[in-house]
Amino acid sequence: MTDISRRDFLKGLAVGGTLGYFAMAGVSSTVMKNAFLPPPKVGAVEIGECKSVKATVISETSWFNNSLLMGDMQKAGGLLVNQYEIPWTNTGVQEGWKGDNAGGYSTLIEVEQLDGKKRKFLLDTGWNVDWTDTCFQREGIDKMLSNKEIEFLFVTHEHFDHYWGVEATLKYYPDIPVIVPKGFYPEGFELLKGAEFTKCHLANKVPHTGPLEVRDSSKVHPVIPGVASITFDVPIITRVFGEQALVFNVKDKGLVVITGCCHMGIITLMEYVRETIKGGDNIYAIQGGLHISPFEDWDPQYDDLVLAIHKYGIQKMGCNHCTGYVTAEKMIAVNLPLVRGTAQNKSKRDIYLGNGDFLMI
Amino acid sequence: MNHKEYLWLETRQFQSRIKQPLQGIVNFLLVTAAFLICWRFFMDPRGTMRWYTPQYGYMYIRWILIVAIWQAYIFNFWPLRYSFMEKTHPLIKGAVLIGINFAVVGFMIWVFYYNFLGRLAIPYMSWPVLTSLGMTEFFAREYSSLALLMMAAIASWLSPIWPVCFENYPWDKLERPSRGLTVWAWTFFLATYIFLILMHPHYNVLFYPWQKFAAAFPWWQNFAHTLSGNFNVGWVMCGTISVWILEVTFERYPFCLIKKQPLRGIAGFFGVLIFALVMFVTFNFLQDLAWGPAVEGAKRLYAPDWRYLHSGELACMLLIPVLVLGFYFDNWPRKFAPSVNIAVRCLIILVSAAVLHYLYYKFSPPLLGTQPGYSHPQQFPMAPVILWVTIMLYHNWFMDLYPGKKLTSREQYLLAPDLVVNKA
Repeated sequence: MTDISRRDFLKGLAVGGTLGYFAMAGVSSTVMKNAFLPPPKVGAVEIGECKSVKATVISETSWFNNSLLMGDMQKAGGLLVNQYEIPWTNTGVQEGWKGDNAGGYSTLIEVEQLDGKKRKFLLDTGWNVDWTDTCFQREGIDKMLSNKEIEFLFVTHEHFDHYWGVEATLKYYPDIPVIVPKGFYPEGFELLKGAEFTKCHLANKVPHTGPLEVRDSSKVHPVIPGVASITFDVPIITRVFGEQALVFNVKDKGLVVITGCCHMGIITLMEYVRETIKGGDNIYAIQGGLHISPFEDWDPQYDDLVLAIHKYGIQKMGCNHCTGYVTAEKMIAVNLPLVRGTAQNKSKRDIYLGNGDFLMI
Repeated sequence: MNHKEYLWLETRQFQSRIKQPLQGIVNFLLVTAAFLICWRFFMDPRGTMRWYTPQYGYMYIRWILIVAIWQAYIFNFWPLRYSFMEKTHPLIKGAVLIGINFAVVGFMIWVFYYNFLGRLAIPYMSWPVLTSLGMTEFFAREYSSLALLMMAAIASWLSPIWPVCFENYPWDKLERPSRGLTVWAWTFFLATYIFLILMHPHYNVLFYPWQKFAAAFPWWQNFAHTLSGNFNVGWVMCGTISVWILEVTFERYPFCLIKKQPLRGIAGFFGVLIFALVMFVTFNFLQDLAWGPAVEGAKRLYAPDWRYLHSGELACMLLIPVLVLGFYFDNWPRKFAPSVNIAVRCLIILVSAAVLHYLYYKFSPPLLGTQPGYSHPQQFPMAPVILWVTIMLYHNWFMDLYPGKKLTSREQYLLAPDLVVNKA
């Protein structure tokens, strides 16, 4: 290789530096972005209207001791290990339910249609069958299932605390229509049919005999007038894939979004609603787990969310479960409209909606 | 001896045991098999040790890489003798050097960080300390692992810059171990200093309440639209990859044309930095094109911090073909002018990286035990990719590309006429 003179070097440096600067500035400039990126979409899918929606928290206590749950996952190999392979602690937990650390998440949805007709759905079905059944009896869900007032079970995703207590539902209504998101693993379908998984202390003794629908992410799925479901192809911890949520269009109020865990992220969900569903620029309320600090952990990314959520103009936030107390405190600190609960039925704090509390829109 | 002590790696002369391209293919397949076995044993969530929780295992991967760089590029394999390096069977030599590597990694993490620096200075560098302060053990380990892996990541960017760009200036006349210890102390000091600027503010906002009296607020928030240190992870990774592209693909061209130090080092440093920033911005823009713009506060695919992180991941995927072409296929082509050779190599590397990206996301769930999908809060393609890279480095630096190649005498190189002039 030949030597280079100082003059040539400086010339090269100047040319290279200038080109590098313009390359960098060029690709990152607004002009370039506007030229290449499509403009934001405006929601066009019409889902109709309903008169009101009420979400009653049957159980938001998915587990009773957070350290024990994290310890179970740590011993098994972390957050990517298959949930059916983790030996979850189910005995000797002082603050647990009869010594079991498992609780569960489940919500009753009641919709009043414009003609006054009331419709009921069950969103998720808990983890610990005995705990879920006790909560069902407390809220009268057992009777609603037995007499088929509840029209279907909407499973948001396959996670242990949202789905594994399916026996508690099937016990009262074995042929209830079940709606699951695309991405369920074979074990999830086997559980529905009545399988047992000894390693994770899981069994369903009541096989499902009704219709099963798997919903994908290709479209907005209508449920009843004023209600639709949307599905996200999202990878989730403990080897789960896919989550779905419900969207309601409440007359004179706006859209209401009800989630299970919202692993896709509440802002991602609201952006999707805004771009897809007619009226999506007016999201009046959200309810459910927001999956921001589910294990009382933290990530600066969560602060980004807490600080950005103001822009969406939400009037009511009925969060709980995997939202985390730290998140709730931070949201209150920045004046987000969190709906407080009553801290009863083993919900630990009144900072957000707890077991037996409800949100009515 | 009053002459420059050359890097052992620069002085090696090889004979081929097998003809190309079979030699390259055999070596590459062996290394890939070793990577898959190591991943399965140590990291895979379905495997034996299951360290990929993910940060804990990822931290070890980052540390074996930086320690390998220290061994080969900074310490020039000290305290081992050159005669040992020349005459020992590659597999035995590899076992000894990997043993030293693991021992140093264990010392740095378990003694220096967990039980010295973590206890006496910065609690988040030690999970036993965080746990004793009341944090859930799992997150204590994950948070401290993130800090340590970032420390290693920044060191992986800065440490090779000194031998590659500055040729160890102004300590280039020193011999082992003085030069190694000096350059190590200097680059490790720099890495610690840069860590405090790039990652310490991340820990201000990681804890609740914010630790505003102990660390600066993330200064990048206004223009990066995130509080997360992933912004810095992304561009630092692009910087690290740029150094290795300069070293392997570009063979230090064009900076090697500048004979004087520190001009050559300064030009190389800033050249690498500009290259890295262009790469970073370009990868961010490609993601905007693929998925739409990032949204402030969003998670997964749309999270600004994940986009930055993924730019670093994309850069890492460039490194695999860079090393495969450089190590196993003799940096083909070599017959044209340097600029033409480099242009052809760059084309091969870009196409190969795109293919690797596709294959990774298609086959990593069954092969590596990861979950399908691009964006997952608990998995980092950088981890397996860097383990793969490190095993290639072990294979080349510690085992002389055995069995595809055979080491011949180092003296042949040292007595070459052009070097005799330099040594005078």
